Amino acid sequence: MKKKQNKKPEKDKSKELIEILKKHGAQVYEDLESGQFPKFSIPNRSISNIMYDKKLRQYVLGTNTSLRSARNTSQLRSFTQLLWLAFFANKLTHEKKSSTLRDVYYSSQAFAVDFEDQGESDNIIVDLEAVLSKPREDFFVFPEERSSIFGDLTIEYTIPGYEGKKQNLSTHPDGYAIGPSMTSAQLVDTSAELVIAIEKGGLFTRFVEEQVDKKFKSIIINTGGQAPRSTRTLLKRLHDELNLPVVILTDGDVYGEHIAMVIKSGSANAAHLRELTVPDAKWMGVWATDIDKYKLPTIPMTESDIKRCFDLQKDPRYQEGIWKKELEVFTKIKKKAELEAFSKYGLTNITDKYLPEKLELAKSL
Amino acid sequence: MSSKEQFNQISPSEFFYRNRDLAGFSNPTRSLYTAVREFVENSLDACDHSGVFPNIEMTIKAVNPDKPDPKQYILTVKDNGPGIPPKHVPLAFGTVLYGSKFGLKQARGMFGLGATMAILYGQITTNKPVKVKSNSDGKIRNDFEMLLDIQKNKPVILKKDEKSSTERGLSVSICLDGDYSKAGTKIRDYVYQTSLITPYATITFNDPKGEKFHHKAIIRSMPPAPTIIAPHPYGIDVETIRRMLVDTHYQIPNVDDKMIEKVRKELGMSKKKFTYSDIMKKTEKKWKSLTRPVRVVLALMSFLEADFEKLQRVRIEDVDLRNNKLVYWDYSTSQTLVADMDVESHYYKQLANTVQGESLTHFLTKRFQRVGPTAAVEFCKFAKFKPETRVGNMTDQELVKLSDALQTYEGFRSPDPTCLAPLGATPLEKGIERRFEPDFSAVVQRTASAYSGFPFVIEMGIAYGGNIQSRGTTVYRFANRIPLLYDEGSDVVLKVVKETDWNRYKVKSDSAPLIIVSHICSTRVPYKTVGKENVADRPEIEKELRLALQFLSRKLSGYMSKKGKAEMAKKRANLYSKYLPLIAQFCTELSGNKKEPKYDKMIREETNMGEEAKIEEKTE
Repeated sequence: MKKKQNKKPEKDKSKELIEILKKHGAQVYEDLESGQFPKFSIPNRSISNIMYDKKLRQYVLGTNTSLRSARNTSQLRSFTQLLWLAFFANKLTHEKKSSTLRDVYYSSQAFAVDFEDQGESDNIIVDLEAVLSKPREDFFVFPEERSSIFGDLTIEYTIPGYEGKKQNLSTHPDGYAIGPSMTSAQLVDTSAELVIAIEKGGLFTRFVEEQVDKKFKSIIINTGGQAPRSTRTLLKRLHDELNLPVVILTDGDVYGEHIAMVIKSGSANAAHLRELTVPDAKWMGVWATDIDKYKLPTIPMTESDIKRCFDLQKDPRYQEGIWKKELEVFTKIKKKAELEAFSKYGLTNITDKYLPEKLELAKSL
Repeated sequence: MSSKEQFNQISPSEFFYRNRDLAGFSNPTRSLYTAVREFVENSLDACDHSGVFPNIEMTIKAVNPDKPDPKQYILTVKDNGPGIPPKHVPLAFGTVLYGSKFGLKQARGMFGLGATMAILYGQITTNKPVKVKSNSDGKIRNDFEMLLDIQKNKPVILKKDEKSSTERGLSVSICLDGDYSKAGTKIRDYVYQTSLITPYATITFNDPKGEKFHHKAIIRSMPPAPTIIAPHPYGIDVETIRRMLVDTHYQIPNVDDKMIEKVRKELGMSKKKFTYSDIMKKTEKKWKSLTRPVRVVLALMSFLEADFEKLQRVRIEDVDLRNNKLVYWDYSTSQTLVADMDVESHYYKQLANTVQGESLTHFLTKRFQRVGPTAAVEFCKFAKFKPETRVGNMTDQELVKLSDALQTYEGFRSPDPTCLAPLGATPLEKGIERRFEPDFSAVVQRTASAYSGFPFVIEMGIAYGGNIQSRGTTVYRFANRIPLLYDEGSDVVLKVVKETDWNRYKVKSDSAPLIIVSHICSTRVPYKTVGKENVADRPEIEKELRLALQFLSRKLSGYMSKKGKAEMAKKRANLYSKYLPLIAQFCTELSGNKKEPKYDKMIREETNMGEEAKIEEKTE
């Protein structure tokens, strides 16, 4: 059993966030008191200010920032919205109450700070993330849960009402939803030596049934397509805090390859955030070369699939290694294969044959 | 017999009776409106020319109110003008084409026939007499009732009366067929708009329904009265020049009894019979004191060797300067005779000068306005005429050349506007301010310009906001202080307004509370129709209108951007008032403070900025 190696306890994380929020609040207060118009400096998130940091192995924002001032009447409204969100985030963090993007949109209406639509409030949330350099999950704003986790991992809840309560995640075969309570829980201990992130719920269930967790000493995570940020945060914590390697299994197409890439090195949309990436994570399939190798049934690529191939070829992260190689093969064969394609050779073919081979191969990646 | 019938003359009255449509008396609606106009305008003109602040009361009363329109109405217009001396009253109101308005100066009516047309129309439709009450001396009021003898163009006085009264003025009352239910709007508009362009006049209108429209005078100063002046060279045509040449005092005078009488008088030889040599002796002595026509007659007599009796028997046929012969017809012998002329004699010079007319420079300086001796010489150089050219000797071709050159030469000063009576910028602005009560107004009076030799002045005003309704652009058109109400579609003013790109001036022309007042003053306004309701688009007038409108639009645009700024400041203040309290609330909680920061001052400052912008716009 691995002992927890918690660098940054969740409690401290909240404390730190509250400190930052308070600091911002105090600055605005001071400005008003001295007759100044308060302002926020927000890192610029436009494409021109997003660049790939090779050292960090993720997209980061450049040094450009834009000023949002209460003096400027065209910014006054969004300034107020941003300050309100900071105020609201502070409240959520204090009370450890989780909320969703949609909750935020509706909550604003109680304070005469109206958002025209959820799109506007979602934008302000990203603004606050950028100002604080913290993902929204840190201030208790969560996406709808659709990803889940299963395996021998014991956690200890920190959310109000469950504080100190422990839970082993291998007792329920449908897995556990990765929600606020999971993301904020302490990772106590585990017998697993590996984390397998899998794109699809169907395969996740198959893996549980086939006891992949036991056979391969692994924690299985269903990302539900593109991994939500809370799932990515959890993956990172599993890797960093418990020293578990992370491997990723996706459909054999260009989107699958990119799901793996986002877990590994983040997305341009979240360039303002750190701590969301698992740079050591490994994509082990389904590769383009696997299609031929395992004689998988294929589906022809659509127009948009092909376009996506060419788009990704311009991405700096796809310029080397298997990322480059596999993308080139996809572009060439213009075919794709789903995870379920292995069922042609029997339902357990994927866990019995493909998975062990790939895991062996991954070690050398 | 038949030829006699063909050339049977008709009297002017009969002519207008047959063509009354031309003068605006085509139907009961139009006729009632036109009659109102003619009488009111006559009254205003009379007051203007005698320097009296007009106080005009107009009343329209139905003879039988219960009858449906069209029906008989009694129209009475009363003014406080100079009145008309009793001996002129029958002619002034009882004949067509009697008036004093021929000449080159601005007046509302042109030919003095409108009022008589109204009377004529009333008489035709109701067979009732016109009632005129005139008091021209402030002592006695003369009352007349009369009809018009259409065939003879002569008044028939039915009743005459005298009353002692100190109230000067004229009151005319006619009975006519009219349709007030249809003409009412136009008449009320007419009265209202007249009061706008005549802000020094008090105008009252009692309408047939018992309603009273009273427009009190706004200002107590009258624009200077116009004077009669010579034409301007620009745009004068060949025919006009020809007429001016004939019209000079330089033609050989008609030697009739009257003329001979004049010659005798100037020589002091009225009574007795004188011999030829007596006359010549006296002539030598008195030459310097004699008038030009008398000198010419005496010059003729010197060559004819004629005394007054002989002079009566001859008719001058030709002064042949080339052969130095004087050709004349002798009545006593019934034959053409020829007399020699002595080239050396000063009588010859006198005659020669007369026949050849003035020198071109002299003609130009004397007969036209705005042409001085220097300008005349310069012009001759430009037109390639010798300055000393005698205008009487000019051929038709030369006249055409002269007329063309007069129009193309650019050295003449702009026309003398003293013959015009624009309202003036200040009265116009006051009128606009008081009648419309706008937020913004501006006026401009352009310098005088000319079309076809007729001077004109454009006055224009613009008003925005305030009590003006947001119905888009409303244009009030005036010409010589007359409102133009009909046929506006084809008017040059509307054309210019429509062609303006109002967006450039920050104005939404289809919904803005915008009023444009345009006043064209001219000795002859180029109306498109006899009804005098729309002005033709002469390029010169259009250009002036455009310049005037551009000037005003720029001013409006300045106001609009200032207004925009003030509105923006207000909007800013509103935004701060809305959001700063929220910001204060959130940051207080966020920072853990107990009391909210003092931000009121910031809102106040922003609000003040708005106020300042407002004040600035008021003072300007």
